[in-house]
Amino acid sequence: MAGRRVLVVEDDDGLRETLVEVLRDEGHEVRAAQDGAIALGTLEEWDADLILLDVMMPRMDAFAFRSAQRARGAAMDAKVIVLSAAPEIETAADQLGADRWLPKPFRLTDVLDSVDELLDGGVGVDSPSARGR
Amino acid sequence: MTSPDSRVPNSTASASDASLLLRGEVAFRLLVDAVQDYAIFLLGPDGRVLTWNRGAQRIKGYTADEIIGQHFSRFYTPEEREAGRPMRLLGWAAEQGRFEDEGWRVRKDGTRFWADVIVTALVDESGVPYAYAKVTRDLTERRAAEEQQRRLLAEQEARKAAEEALHARDRFLSIASHELKTPVATVQLGVETILRARGRGRLDDARLVAGLHRVRAATERLGVLLNELLDISRLTADQLPLTVGDVDLVALTRDVVDRFADAAPRPDAIRLVAPEHAVISGDASRIDQVITNLLDNAMKYTDGAPEVEIRIEPHPDGVELVVADRGRGLASMPKARMFEAFGRGDDTTSVPGLGLGLHIARTIVERHGGRIAAGSQPEGRGSIFTVWLPREQPYP
Repeated sequence: MAGRRVLVVEDDDGLRETLVEVLRDEGHEVRAAQDGAIALGTLEEWDADLILLDVMMPRMDAFAFRSAQRARGAAMDAKVIVLSAAPEIETAADQLGADRWLPKPFRLTDVLDSVDELLDGGVGVDSPSARGR
Repeated sequence: MTSPDSRVPNSTASASDASLLLRGEVAFRLLVDAVQDYAIFLLGPDGRVLTWNRGAQRIKGYTADEIIGQHFSRFYTPEEREAGRPMRLLGWAAEQGRFEDEGWRVRKDGTRFWADVIVTALVDESGVPYAYAKVTRDLTERRAAEEQQRRLLAEQEARKAAEEALHARDRFLSIASHELKTPVATVQLGVETILRARGRGRLDDARLVAGLHRVRAATERLGVLLNELLDISRLTADQLPLTVGDVDLVALTRDVVDRFADAAPRPDAIRLVAPEHAVISGDASRIDQVITNLLDNAMKYTDGAPEVEIRIEPHPDGVELVVADRGRGLASMPKARMFEAFGRGDDTTSVPGLGLGLHIARTIVERHGGRIAAGSQPEGRGSIFTVWLPREQPYP
């Protein structure tokens, strides 16, 4: 599939760098942010098709990021995949208006399949590997 | 001017005064006698009962016939009688004019009641007591109600503490799962990414090395977290064997500072103010852990560039070690809770670590017979932790 724009918002350096590397490998244009505030800045000049979003982050967490993003009308069409280790990830994903959620730790194929399906317009297609809705 | 006319009313007045006085005294005695809620009676200077009222009979169980002429010490418990407390009470009343006391008293049937007693000395012109007025109230029910109230309050507090502990545990589990799962995710994803790139023939050396570095950093992080968890379970089980030997706190602190300096953004981020040596007896690796945790704490809770000062001051009987930072300070949480396990501030979910560092530090310091305290910097910027370790080990 054609490369699309993916924004990775994750405070853990190792995880963020790995996600960026593997998504670039898939031919996507990838930007990365360590927290919600940096992600907001990125979206001001760069429209994402998909956002991989960690929940607990310093400075600005996923909830503050999403409400600021909506208030600014930034990347409103972007699909959102929530990444979290929290037991309440499903509730969090729901509150964040996310399209999918992936509980940490996740497999590489989980991430790539979810990204592919969402960017192909396959919203609502439930695959066993993408444990979302 | 005296006239028969004027004298008559006078003498009539004094006669009627006297009778009024007499009637007043009778009325007063009747009043005292009728009082049911207070035992009101007089004691002679030797402690024998002179008068008795209805309240005294109701509260203490004796009739006037039974008790008048008896010594008042029988109202006291055998222990207090033996200790000579009854006559001492009269002595205090004589000295001070009035003495109030609360305690157990004994009824005629041997049962006890909780009494509030006021003894007033009645003195003659030369100040010598000729009698003591004793007013006793039975506070047994009030005391029981107060105790019930105290018990309820204690139960409420215990429940609140239990709920707080549960809340702290949930918070800890959520932090622990986040902290542990994120590096696991990095390891898993990192290894899979390397394998996938290799499968596609796209794995060059640079990519392999970068990927392995990320995996190594994540496993190191996991190792630290697991050690923290193991430490806390050992501490909770009270199993912390100390290997005691001579420890130079200054050399030890220099080692710790060197370790942190590698990761610090500026070489002068950590300043050590210390004499050449400060030797105590203790467990070097455990004390290393205390300094590491305090320094880690100081660096972690600083939003901007960290600026930490460590001071070591030897005293004759021990050594004081102070870690002062310019971080966010301690305003957001009670100082007592800070050293509890899982007791970190609510606003710190984004700070890495399990929040056990200070608890582990306190436990180690206390096992060494020392103390640890936390405070805020005078200007309100930053926190200050003070550790005191004794020179010799009280529990070798």
